[in-house]
Amino acid sequence: MKNRPVKVILWALFLGVLVFYPSLFGLYFTNIFVIFSIYALYATTFNYLLGYTGLLSFGHAMFFGIGGYGTAIALERIQGLPLLPAIIIGALAAVMLALILCPLLVRVSGTAFAMLTLAFGQLMHVLALKLRWLTGGEDGVGGFPIPPFHIPGVISLDITDPKKFYYFAMVVLALSMWVIWFFTKTPFGSIQTGIRDNPRRVEYLGFKLPHTKAVVFIISGGFAGVAGSIYALFQNLISADDAFGIGNSFAPIIMTVVGGIESFFGPIFGSAILSFIDELTSRYTERVEIVTGLILILVIMFAPKGFSGFLRFMRGKWLSPPNANPALEETK
Amino acid sequence: MESDTVLYISQAMHGLAYGMVLFLVSAGLTLIFGMMGILNIAHASFFMLGAYFCYQVLSMTGNFWVSLIVAPVIVGLLGVLCERYLLRKLHAYGHVGELLLTVGIGMVILGSVKIFWGTESLPVTVPQILKGLVKLGGLEYPIYRLFIIALALVILAIMGLILYKTRLGMIVRGAVSDAEMVNALGINVPAVFMFVFGFGTWLAGVGGVAVAPILTVYPGLSDQVGMDAFVVVVTAGFGSLKGAFIVSIIFGLLSSFGVQFVPKLAPVLMFGFMAIVLALKPAGIFGETE
Repeated sequence: MKNRPVKVILWALFLGVLVFYPSLFGLYFTNIFVIFSIYALYATTFNYLLGYTGLLSFGHAMFFGIGGYGTAIALERIQGLPLLPAIIIGALAAVMLALILCPLLVRVSGTAFAMLTLAFGQLMHVLALKLRWLTGGEDGVGGFPIPPFHIPGVISLDITDPKKFYYFAMVVLALSMWVIWFFTKTPFGSIQTGIRDNPRRVEYLGFKLPHTKAVVFIISGGFAGVAGSIYALFQNLISADDAFGIGNSFAPIIMTVVGGIESFFGPIFGSAILSFIDELTSRYTERVEIVTGLILILVIMFAPKGFSGFLRFMRGKWLSPPNANPALEETK
Repeated sequence: MESDTVLYISQAMHGLAYGMVLFLVSAGLTLIFGMMGILNIAHASFFMLGAYFCYQVLSMTGNFWVSLIVAPVIVGLLGVLCERYLLRKLHAYGHVGELLLTVGIGMVILGSVKIFWGTESLPVTVPQILKGLVKLGGLEYPIYRLFIIALALVILAIMGLILYKTRLGMIVRGAVSDAEMVNALGINVPAVFMFVFGFGTWLAGVGGVAVAPILTVYPGLSDQVGMDAFVVVVTAGFGSLKGAFIVSIIFGLLSSFGVQFVPKLAPVLMFGFMAIVLALKPAGIFGETE
């Protein structure tokens, strides 16, 4: 890129704001920001399926939920479990679920995939409600001990302090997002977009379609599990309706669509926009879903590329030299 | 022994009645899917809307029969409007957009319902004739369940007549298998789509009215029955009406006997059944393999 210094300065500025955010905006907005970031990662994992591989999941909450439950139950049952293994248990639980489901799911695509994930998501919801001895039914798992983030000789952070939790969550979430971003840039990422655009040709080139889809599904599920795990740690509570509810499966869909499906940063924009709208509308009305529903309809009808499509359009209009090729801009 | 048989039969009646409601909802869903290739996520919301309109009309007129006629028609008209002014504009851009649009419609309906009627359960009373029990062959049956079963069978018969005996039905069946070809033959397929979508949502509305007196009317209705209907459609195979009918009855019986014998596992039974079917045949029992 030719304006690399500008980009570096922007990133540095962004990082600076991130570091000083809690001191600048206070506790309330710090907590909102943590929730926003958790959902940004969650929506990014969703878009890793939809935007990059063309698989629309209507039950993504099952990974989010099982990640949260995995971490919460592990911390509740195992005495003195350190923090990182607890998060890893959450992520592994999600990976296991993805592994169990993928033999069924990778064989289908499109609407069938959406319906099956919807059904399995609901199955997880029912299971979380019914397996009382493990999940606590409607009440969920709460009040579990939260160990400090401790690496001997390097760092020890008591994350029950909201400010310290903010830094911890930022690092974990940003790292996860970076890993996903990295995956999209590898040759494997190209196969993925190939599957989205023309599955037949990819198969003809000798790549195994079901296997590739399975790997994508597992990566996406695992990181959604990380998001759920951080969510459980943040709330110190994970409950069936919150984690596995159909609303939680729709949340990343709406964020991704509003933010822009075809962009990596789209879901992050979407999460920010929806957090903002949520925060704003919940001051005036309890019925946030009608507002988000209307926004979803409007975006799909009139701006199918979402917010990042809008940004790209604006940038193409004002910031690029007059003879620049818009097609190149798109594929960048 | 005698009391056991009575119990089984009454459980079977409950199961059949619930299966019929499931069929009303899933028939619309599977018809819309088979025809237009879209999964109407808002279908469950239309179903719930049927129950709410039933409550509203009942409290305005005091006549259950009027609401049985009027409420589903309003729901069907709303469905037609959604198809004409929202879904049709997206049809050219593929299924994902349409699918997401129905999610938005569902959310708006749920939100509006909570605004207009609140979140508490609203009771719906049935007319005197449908109350109580009726004696048949020494056994007692609740009349309302019998009424639901009869209603669903009548609708099934009418649907069968329209689909297999009329020109319109022929066009619909043709459009299910190849919409482009039917369009090329000079038939106004978008209008047929609109009709089918309206008819499907009308069916969901009928299901909503039928279920309102049993389950009362509350915003969680769409999740409860709607999800079961989705599972029916997945298990039966997308777009198969016959499959939807059979699987609905199986699921109705499964849920009523499940509650009796394995109360803790009852809600999981359906999903277990679905998982087994899909493991063996990913397209569903009656689905065509891709």
